[in-house]
Amino acid sequence: MAGILNTSLTGMLAFQRALDVTSHNIANANTPGYSRQVAEFTARPGSGSGVGYIGSGTQIASIERMYDAMQTEQLRTTTTGYARFNTLNNLASRIDVLLADPDTGLNTGLQSFFNTVQDLANDPSSIPTRQAVIGEAQSLASRFQSLDESLDALEAEVNDRIELSVADINRLASSIADVNEKISLANGTGNAPNDLLDERDALVLQLSAQVSVSTTLQDDGTMSVFIGSGQSLVLGGEARQLGTGGTEFDMTRMTVTYQSAAGSTPLDTTSTGGNLGGLLDYRSSILDPTRQSLGQTAIAFANSINEQHAAGMDLRGNLGGDLFSVDDPDVLPSSNNSGSGTATASVSDLGALTGVDYVLEFDGSAYSLRRTDNNMTVALSGTGTPADPLTADGLSIVVGGSPAAGDRQLIRSAHDAAGSIRSVITDPQAIAMAAPTRVSAALANTGGAAVAATSVMDATEPQLLDTAVIEFTSATTFTVNGSGSFTYTDGAPIVVNGSSFTLSGVPATGDQFMIEPNFGASGDNANGLLVAELQSVGILEGGSISINENYGRLVSGVGSTTHQIQSGLEAQAVVLKNAEDAVLSTSAVNLDEEAANLIKYQQAYQAVAQVVSVASTLFDSLLNATRR
Amino acid sequence: MRVSTRGSYLQGLSMMQQLQSSLDYTQRQISSGRRILTPSDDPIASSRALEMREAISRLTQFDRNAGIATNRLSQEESALNSVNNVLQRVRELALQANNATQSNETRQLIGVELRQQLDQLVQLANQKDGNGSYLFSGNQTDTQPVSRSAAGFSYNGDQGQRQVQIGEGQQVADGDSGAAVFFAIADGNGSFSVTAGSSNTGTGVITASSLVDPTAWVPDQYTVRFIDSDNYEVLDSSAAVITTGTFQSGGSIAFNGIEFSLNGVPQGGDEFDLAPSRNQDVFTTVTQIIAAVEMGVSGEQMQAAQSNGINQGLQNLDHAIGNILDIRTQVGSRLSAIENQLDSNGGFALSYQETLASIEDLDYAEAISRLSMETTTLEAAQQSFIRTQSLSLFNYF
Repeated sequence: MAGILNTSLTGMLAFQRALDVTSHNIANANTPGYSRQVAEFTARPGSGSGVGYIGSGTQIASIERMYDAMQTEQLRTTTTGYARFNTLNNLASRIDVLLADPDTGLNTGLQSFFNTVQDLANDPSSIPTRQAVIGEAQSLASRFQSLDESLDALEAEVNDRIELSVADINRLASSIADVNEKISLANGTGNAPNDLLDERDALVLQLSAQVSVSTTLQDDGTMSVFIGSGQSLVLGGEARQLGTGGTEFDMTRMTVTYQSAAGSTPLDTTSTGGNLGGLLDYRSSILDPTRQSLGQTAIAFANSINEQHAAGMDLRGNLGGDLFSVDDPDVLPSSNNSGSGTATASVSDLGALTGVDYVLEFDGSAYSLRRTDNNMTVALSGTGTPADPLTADGLSIVVGGSPAAGDRQLIRSAHDAAGSIRSVITDPQAIAMAAPTRVSAALANTGGAAVAATSVMDATEPQLLDTAVIEFTSATTFTVNGSGSFTYTDGAPIVVNGSSFTLSGVPATGDQFMIEPNFGASGDNANGLLVAELQSVGILEGGSISINENYGRLVSGVGSTTHQIQSGLEAQAVVLKNAEDAVLSTSAVNLDEEAANLIKYQQAYQAVAQVVSVASTLFDSLLNATRR
Repeated sequence: MRVSTRGSYLQGLSMMQQLQSSLDYTQRQISSGRRILTPSDDPIASSRALEMREAISRLTQFDRNAGIATNRLSQEESALNSVNNVLQRVRELALQANNATQSNETRQLIGVELRQQLDQLVQLANQKDGNGSYLFSGNQTDTQPVSRSAAGFSYNGDQGQRQVQIGEGQQVADGDSGAAVFFAIADGNGSFSVTAGSSNTGTGVITASSLVDPTAWVPDQYTVRFIDSDNYEVLDSSAAVITTGTFQSGGSIAFNGIEFSLNGVPQGGDEFDLAPSRNQDVFTTVTQIIAAVEMGVSGEQMQAAQSNGINQGLQNLDHAIGNILDIRTQVGSRLSAIENQLDSNGGFALSYQETLASIEDLDYAEAISRLSMETTTLEAAQQSFIRTQSLSLFNYF
């Protein structure tokens, strides 16, 4: 009978514990990362008797945590992937909207500028229309600037976000190390500290949203966490730290370093993943190329307009000055340089200009140039003196000082160009709409030759504005200013002092044509038409891509990248959801199940209590039997 | 599969959020009327849309340019029309004065009207357009093109011709310089001119001249000198006799591929000078006619000189009238080129607009049926969420 009591007692205790576990489950039905627990019953061993072994009740062997290591691992990996795409999507869609918006994008600005130039070409002497061109030039320049400012702000935001992400990673690493210690202590008792394990899994999951992690479980129950290409972040109770800092060229460009006993080394960012990886990828594959392409557009626009404008004559009879100014490429020396070498770069060939960043390195005897986007070495020609600069990819680089071997300079060919573009013309009379020279046939000519077309071959020719008289000494020969004898081929252009013209018809002996400066030609729009034409003329990439096309390519490039990111994000969201569902399915609480367990354990408890009452009745029977 | 309470709750919630997100997208599409809200919605289509917009904007600009060019050319045409009227009137008056029935006095009256016509011609050449720019000074739009001095008429403009862009790669001149309209006009018959010597004593009057064989024509200054009334010799610029011939009144004189005929009787020593055609401005031509008309005539010999003067003037005037006609034809063909270009621009603009609409514009029927489907789905999802979430064993405790 004592056996009955003891046996019932074990049942009551066990069911009470099971009810405890059930109520813990119910209480945590909505706790994220909570793994439901199940009390495992085992029968207590029996004691031998003459008739065999009689059991001695039940006991809770363990409280199991319902958990699947594979599923948890899967959840971490997909969380890392999703977080990367989420960050990329957030930031990329902002550029996407910025570039294509009619109010902020370049298209409308470029169109109105060129349309106003066309308007002025229709009425070149109109001062109000000239003012309108200056106004459009200013507003176009400020569009470039404000786009660049927005991109600059995004760059600053990426820097901030990198710092925040690194701070998060460091905090999580410390927390994981703390929990590791507690788990290691608890493990000593022989029972798994289920809720601490949940807490650690939740922390590692948060960490995997920031950066790609891999984990290994140690024998003492602690978890080692590795990031990137295998750098240890948490080992047992110890956490390493990540740091942030600028690059050797640019202190404001945030990069991530790994702090170990050996000092701080740059973190290998090729397999970073997560939010941090998304930030770094965004900067290198979307933000940098966007800024570079915008800068390239700005340089192409300003330089080509200036070049054409310089080949014209303004209302005052001067050759055209600059309409826009744009800064030369930035040269940033490395902070590790030991020599005193300097370099200045300028754009010399728009057709070859790429817009990307380069590293110029001195190896002790010669310079080499490497693109930073694909790490390809670019062949340099020239010696680097002002007379014979180093040239490559449309850049001219003049070097000076005495560099030490291994010294490096970062050359950003177009990074800041869009922000530096300014409209520098303020005098409406100074817009050069007219051709600098004109060609006229003498009215006394008797031949049938008429001037068919004139053009300016070389506006930088010093004698461009000198008057020249071309006199035919026969139908096929002519003199210039009375001297020389040049052969004239029918239909071939006659080029004198940088001006060129063709004739239709046959000239007679004694016919004269005069090239003279185009002073007073307030109605001439020849140069204005050429400026307006730059809207659709190929300038970049060897003259195949116009300014508008280059910007259009930027917009559609960012658009399709964003589109890809969005598709990737949607796919990752599905994968993540499946992984979450799998974990939830295994580990999360089902209240109906717990309600059923509640009923089950309650009834079992009531039943064992009934056994106690039976035992008591048995006692009473025995006592009553012996009272007499 | 085992379903956790939290899992089913999250599942229901995320489904509803997804539905709300697509409902919001559809709603934004409908309220903006655009299929593409950001370039990433359809990168290829939106870059096409950018191209279309640029093309449409350029076409609009071309149309505006074409409007301005049409306006200018119409102004030019009406000015040329007035010039033509003046020249025709000058022609009538010259013919009238060339009639033997006129007396010196009546010719003086004709001369007065001719002078008025000349003044009007100069005024027309110095006409300004609506912007205050001279119409016929080439690109020197602030310079008065024609000025008159004792030495004659001079052109102060240049020979520039402004082009206006009216289509992709299509430019049209919006005017003609005064040099082309009034000054670069060949005199004589366009190949050479024949002038009677000023000291001729006979009554020879040049009636016609022509280039018969261009290959035999050697441009040079020639002098046809009559030895007597029936014989002549032809001298070139170096005074060498290149040919001689006999002449009958009303007959023609031919050499080196050219031919001209004379009426009347030339006297020995009379000379007719032959020179390759040169440009002579229309004002000088009219001035010459006036001088010939106003010269006092007495005797047959002076009559012949006057006739020669007026005839030569008329020949030059006809070239000027022909030149104006040529230029009017050019202006007309430019106007019709503009018209054609406007039509073609309009056709392109329409097709670009249609393409743009097909790229960007929302198919409302589709969008609204999508909206109502999404609304229905969301309502269903909400109801089923409420139902499933209210199911619990605890309800029966």
